[in-house]
Amino acid sequence: MIFNITENNEAVKATVSGRLDTPAAVKAQQEIVPLLENAEKVITLDCEQLEYISSSGLRLFLTIRKEAAAKGGKVVIEHINDEIKKVFMMTGFFNLFEIR
Amino acid sequence: MVTYGLDPHGEMLLEEYRQQLPLYTRLQQVVMKKLNEMARQIGIDVNSMEARIKGESSLVGKLERKGYKYQSIRDITDIFGARIITFYNEDVDRMASMAESLFDIDWPNSVDKRKMHQFDSFGYNSLHYICQLPRSVYQDAEFPELNDIRFELQMRTALQHVWSAIQHDIGYKSEIETPMEYHRDLSRLAGMLELADNEFSRIRNSVSDYRRRAQSLLRSGRLEEVLLDRETFYSYIEMKPFNKLNRQIASITQAELHEASFAPYLIVLKQMGLNTLGDVERMIKDCYEDAYQLALFQLGSTDIDILAETIGLQNLCIVHILKAGKGKPGILQLFDTINGKKPQNDFMASTIIEQASRLPFFSGEKS
Repeated sequence: MIFNITENNEAVKATVSGRLDTPAAVKAQQEIVPLLENAEKVITLDCEQLEYISSSGLRLFLTIRKEAAAKGGKVVIEHINDEIKKVFMMTGFFNLFEIR
Repeated sequence: MVTYGLDPHGEMLLEEYRQQLPLYTRLQQVVMKKLNEMARQIGIDVNSMEARIKGESSLVGKLERKGYKYQSIRDITDIFGARIITFYNEDVDRMASMAESLFDIDWPNSVDKRKMHQFDSFGYNSLHYICQLPRSVYQDAEFPELNDIRFELQMRTALQHVWSAIQHDIGYKSEIETPMEYHRDLSRLAGMLELADNEFSRIRNSVSDYRRRAQSLLRSGRLEEVLLDRETFYSYIEMKPFNKLNRQIASITQAELHEASFAPYLIVLKQMGLNTLGDVERMIKDCYEDAYQLALFQLGSTDIDILAETIGLQNLCIVHILKAGKGKPGILQLFDTINGKKPQNDFMASTIIEQASRLPFFSGEKS
């Protein structure tokens, strides 16, 4: 499981771990459904254990963000490693998420 | 039920008022809905619209003073009153025109206070229409009498409203009750606010002229003459000036371009000292190849096939900043502006400096 999700009344937190490559991203499409259903809340993606993100992984993040924007929520990304920070920068997506 | 000691005729009118209150309440709902719909339709941004049904104690005061003038409660035309407060003089006239198309106007009893002053006097400025809701606009089977009730519609600017409200608050009634010096003070203020209203209209017209001129210059390609501001920037973005570079960058990994906001880049471009769209065009021309080379260096060894549609502009700004010798502080300022001050901005700025130092164009500081 890539997205391990815990919910409470005001926020949802997902611990994202491993390699979010294309096959993992396909599997994770079902895993993110609870995040999309709670997109009016603050969604925190804890990426401390995320080693790698592919374009498919980025698309998953963008899907969550789009849903949050539509429902008035927001997405916070925590603890991303330097390589993933570079991916966000090189793709121009670095300001679409609140990265902590 | 409260009794007020009115004469029998006044009591009769008061009773009529009490019975017809639901009718007035319905009229208020319908009229305000129609006014709001119409204002939205013709695109007038009003300061506010307000409405009230005259309270019982206020009506009693009126009946005590001049109840004998009215045969029926329907003869009192301000039981229900609506007020439209606009920002500009011209919008009062536009709202009036809207009201004329929406309602039947009782012209003999309507009054344009703006035209009642002598050339050397200043005071209450407002347009008052006495209206009825025509059946062609609205019919209500439950309240068929709705179309027979007259109501008052006041239209004025925000400044005229302020003057009127303060005058009312002070308790100004007539020259007999208040010393002449206060009338003079209020008149002077009315004159000043009339001048301010005219100035606001003049400024709005000037800004509209400026926008039209800028759009015309933009369309004719005279970008050197178009100042860079929010409006011209968005019009320019609609011309898709970064598309060619975006497509070339996207082709590195056959990437798709994802929608993103260009808004933060307006501030960045201003910080970079670009004042006209001509300056932006020059930046594209001067930095195009190096911006592409930077993207090629960053993405060439990856399989990232999704990019923000701001990627071309992002790289152009980075190259422009580095070519201007602004080094890491300049790049950090870029990220701080787009991203807000965040700890990762420093890391991203350092990464850019490291990447750019391997490319021929970079001649800035390398620390």
